[in-house]
Amino acid sequence: MTPLLEVEDLVVEMRRHGAAFRAVDGVSFSLERGGALAIVGESGCGKSITLRAIMDLLPSGGRLVSGRVVVDGVELEADNRGRGRGHHQRERMSIIFQDALSALNPVATVGNQIAEAPRHVLALGRNASRERAIELLRLVGIPDPERRYHAYPHELSGGTRQRVMIAIALSSEPAILLCDEPTTALDVTIQTQILALLCELREARGLSLVFVTHDLSVVSQVAEQLAVMYTGRLVETGPTEIVLGAPRHPYTAGLLGAALDVDTPEREPIAIPGSIPDPLRLPSGCTFHPRCRFATPDCVTTDVRLEPVGPDQEAACLHSDALAAALADAGRD
Amino acid sequence: MPAVTEAASLSGASPLSGASPLSGASPLSGASPLSGAASASDALLEVDNVSVSFHVEHGRVLRAVDTVSFQVAKGEVLGLVGESGCGKTTVAKCIVGQITPNAGAVRLEGRELGPKRTAEDRRAIQMMFQDPYSSLNPRMSVRQVLSELLGVHRIVPRAGIEDRCRELMALVGLPPDALGGLPSQFSGGQRQRIAIARALAVEPRVIIADEPVSALDVSVQATILRLFEDLGSRLGLTIVFISHNLAVVRHLSRRVVVMYLGRIVEEGGRESVFDDPRHPYTRALLEAAPRLHQTELVRPVVRGEPPSPIDIPAGCSFHPRCPRAEEVCSQVRPLLESVGTGDEHLAACHFRGEASPRFSNGAPPTYRDEAPFGALEGP
Repeated sequence: MTPLLEVEDLVVEMRRHGAAFRAVDGVSFSLERGGALAIVGESGCGKSITLRAIMDLLPSGGRLVSGRVVVDGVELEADNRGRGRGHHQRERMSIIFQDALSALNPVATVGNQIAEAPRHVLALGRNASRERAIELLRLVGIPDPERRYHAYPHELSGGTRQRVMIAIALSSEPAILLCDEPTTALDVTIQTQILALLCELREARGLSLVFVTHDLSVVSQVAEQLAVMYTGRLVETGPTEIVLGAPRHPYTAGLLGAALDVDTPEREPIAIPGSIPDPLRLPSGCTFHPRCRFATPDCVTTDVRLEPVGPDQEAACLHSDALAAALADAGRD
Repeated sequence: MPAVTEAASLSGASPLSGASPLSGASPLSGASPLSGAASASDALLEVDNVSVSFHVEHGRVLRAVDTVSFQVAKGEVLGLVGESGCGKTTVAKCIVGQITPNAGAVRLEGRELGPKRTAEDRRAIQMMFQDPYSSLNPRMSVRQVLSELLGVHRIVPRAGIEDRCRELMALVGLPPDALGGLPSQFSGGQRQRIAIARALAVEPRVIIADEPVSALDVSVQATILRLFEDLGSRLGLTIVFISHNLAVVRHLSRRVVVMYLGRIVEEGGRESVFDDPRHPYTRALLEAAPRLHQTELVRPVVRGEPPSPIDIPAGCSFHPRCPRAEEVCSQVRPLLESVGTGDEHLAACHFRGEASPRFSNGAPPTYRDEAPFGALEGP
């Protein structure tokens, strides 16, 4: 069966101070129908740019250099992916952002914003669109949807705004929902509500999710596939439980070691040495080598690519076996 | 305050170098004429029944902080937890004197700090913020920032300023040549180190850290937390650590205060509060905290969102969202009282006497075996 979404060798160039750099460098992944993939990485790793490139929503200065985005077997044309309303493949995807307040139109009622896609994309009548919008408000768990239809974004709380954004995303009846840090700005009790909503929608509507986050600790709940990104490249992919339980890239292991766990406060988090490199001056070879304790001279010269390291698991590391051995040793102590 | 203070900080070896504790040479210790007299306990910082309300439009009143009291002992790290809008930052601003509370008092070593504070008092309590970029002047180099402080507060004689700047850099783990840099030339973690150096420059007794690691990437968060721990133990600093992140607070603090809608709902030692939470809100926060190896979805246990602080529910302000609420909760406001386990564990819940039940999914979440990443040290 063909995957629902295939992204192949995506390369995005951005500019800073007049100099070009690759914000996304050869990212490929695929998403099964009804599946959920989480892309994890720290700030500046290119995870959000990847999502925006797929939606053809690159910020100014960003340019898609190469790569294919295939939805349901049909390739999206790079040039007109964002142009015109008629491109039906693109309309099978929707995106939600971290900051709902700046993503929503401040001078339109949320109802009108939700009704826009049913009216213009699905070509429903005025009343039918309105009905659909109210139905969507109810679906995303907003109480009293008839009244909320007339509310403006600033009148709503952060959690409710995020629900409205999800309603807008669903209004064009997409098959794929791209989520760009949807819960990062929310309090934990609201975060659980939004995560639960996304998972319910996935089950009830067969929605597929691509979930971008910096927070490793939420991915287990939402996605069974995980991709870890560093300096614009995927460094490890695989089933979430396997990657988190037995990482094969030192960066993934480092992130796990640096994360705090609320249940084990005694464990000292261990920072990854050094800092994220300047994208204009990326280290040669494996870009992680200056921060990696497994690095050898080979890492400086070899352009590492994702290679299979186990069933369904891939890592872009020359020393993934050494890492596995070190983790096994540490576990025995 | 007497002028002896400078002499104290100038004398002998620099208090910042190496292992010598800052508190020993701190200008305020011992100099306060009231120390020991007013306060019976050994609390260094005392927040006593502080209330803050703001007038908002239509003549309504927003109660940001409602009769909040807690004490911080010398050298203690106190964690202040709560979600956005719970008043934790307002409490912090009252402590540093940015906001004058409508009622209540803030005391340092038993001495009340009024609305008009002396330079000494302002020096004694320093605050640092979540976003070091917006709290550092983008046009001043690190050296300018630090030497201005050292000069204005006369921490060291003019000739010693450069040396002290270097000591401060070493203290927060930055190379001395970082002194010449502008804030924009540093990464987020480095900027937060600069913010810490700035707070330490005036040799404070207490540091109020408002979400200091929330804006940082995971891989550098750990180094800043370690720095806080280090400074706490080496300099004997007293730290009020404000965060919404339970994992961070649980890791760093000995004692924890949980706030909801401007009130303290639970307070106690780290172990009591986290292992045996007695307020359903604390329990809910704990269960909602995301966990690495939790594959099952956490079912939301708390309904809805926090109400507006303009319109605080009667009785227990948490009752409309509380899974444990009964009729009494909507009528009688529970006071912050001992839960009866003997240690200083307080909760503001009518049912504080019973171990609060787990809410989510009935059973505790399933965990896989903890992977041994702690053992993976860097090079």
